[in-house]
Amino acid sequence: MIWIYYINIYYMSKGDLLMYDVIIIGKGPAGLQAALYTARAKLKTLVIGKDSVIEKSTRIDNYCCAPSQTGEELIAIGVQQGKAVGVEFKKEIAVSIRKNSTFEVITDNNTYKSKAVIIATGQPSKKIPIKNINYLEGKGIHYCSTCDGFFYEGLKVGIIGYTDYAIQELKEMQNYTNNITLYTNNQELDINTINQKFLKEQNIPIITKKIYSFEGEQMIKKISFDDQSEENVDGVFIAYGTASSVDFARKLGIMIQDNAIQVDDNQKTNIDGLYAAGDCTGGFKQISTAVGQGALAGKSAIEYIKKLKEEI
Amino acid sequence: MTVKVYSTPTCPWCTRVKEYLSSKNVDFVDYDVSSDRDKAMEMITKSGQRGVPVVDIEGNIIIGFDQQNIDRFLNL
Repeated sequence: MIWIYYINIYYMSKGDLLMYDVIIIGKGPAGLQAALYTARAKLKTLVIGKDSVIEKSTRIDNYCCAPSQTGEELIAIGVQQGKAVGVEFKKEIAVSIRKNSTFEVITDNNTYKSKAVIIATGQPSKKIPIKNINYLEGKGIHYCSTCDGFFYEGLKVGIIGYTDYAIQELKEMQNYTNNITLYTNNQELDINTINQKFLKEQNIPIITKKIYSFEGEQMIKKISFDDQSEENVDGVFIAYGTASSVDFARKLGIMIQDNAIQVDDNQKTNIDGLYAAGDCTGGFKQISTAVGQGALAGKSAIEYIKKLKEEI
Repeated sequence: MTVKVYSTPTCPWCTRVKEYLSSKNVDFVDYDVSSDRDKAMEMITKSGQRGVPVVDIEGNIIIGFDQQNIDRFLNL
């Protein structure tokens, strides 16, 4: 019985310990609500996220049916509820998502696979305020090495960033060139020990000076720093801070409008098996709406996986 | 009407553009600029930038998956 053999291999292989039905990126109200639904539907559910922005709220008074409480208290209850129904939590930061036959979510610590993904990462961070960044977008300034890295084969490239997200982008860029410098823009490196070792072993130059501007007419030519020094570059890839919903969208081809992921009435994006909920979808940014969208995203993911199982 | 798409295999937005054109029954020529250096240079010259996808509809250059402009130049 060949199929029994394969099933055994499936359950025994170490890699599949990291295989989930649903991965939810974001530990705020939208993500936690989605997780409650998917876990109660017996789907193997993983929530990836460190502290949610809402945890900084000192008092929440406008969320129906719950007493006045802090954001930290609210999230702690949500996590407790999730754990009670089998949700797994990883205090890690997602740095990239890939889609092949399944989704792959790469974090600062590991790689996880799933059949469906719900993005609930909150409001995307603002663009890094460096002079000429808008003007030179596409003209040497890029946000997706997977998409545009090819044009810089063998050329000098700068990665702007200081977190594991930047190192992930740097590693992807090494498919095209080894002439890469990391520019942290006056930020302390905030990366895990594996990536610290990687930078050292690969002898990657690191410039920590604050960037004043990107310079060039038709294409970027150089980076100018606050101390009036300059460095020539052929291209720059921005991977600053943590990867936001918009960064994931760029890499996956998710439709966005006005910095918000576009979803339908059931929180579905334009990619099969990929959903979004909460502030990253724009609109009325409240806990109550995030929770409602999280429930819908969870429900949609359940239906999607049920359909996948029926097709097998 | 001549429609050209300049793309790379790893770019998700290139896939979206091509899927969209196909869904509208629009014939197009796809140039993989990751394997065709001449077409890559042609794309950079035409669009003045190095991001993919680029769509050329009868000389009208569209950068990225800009559905509104694709519809406009194709009279969809």
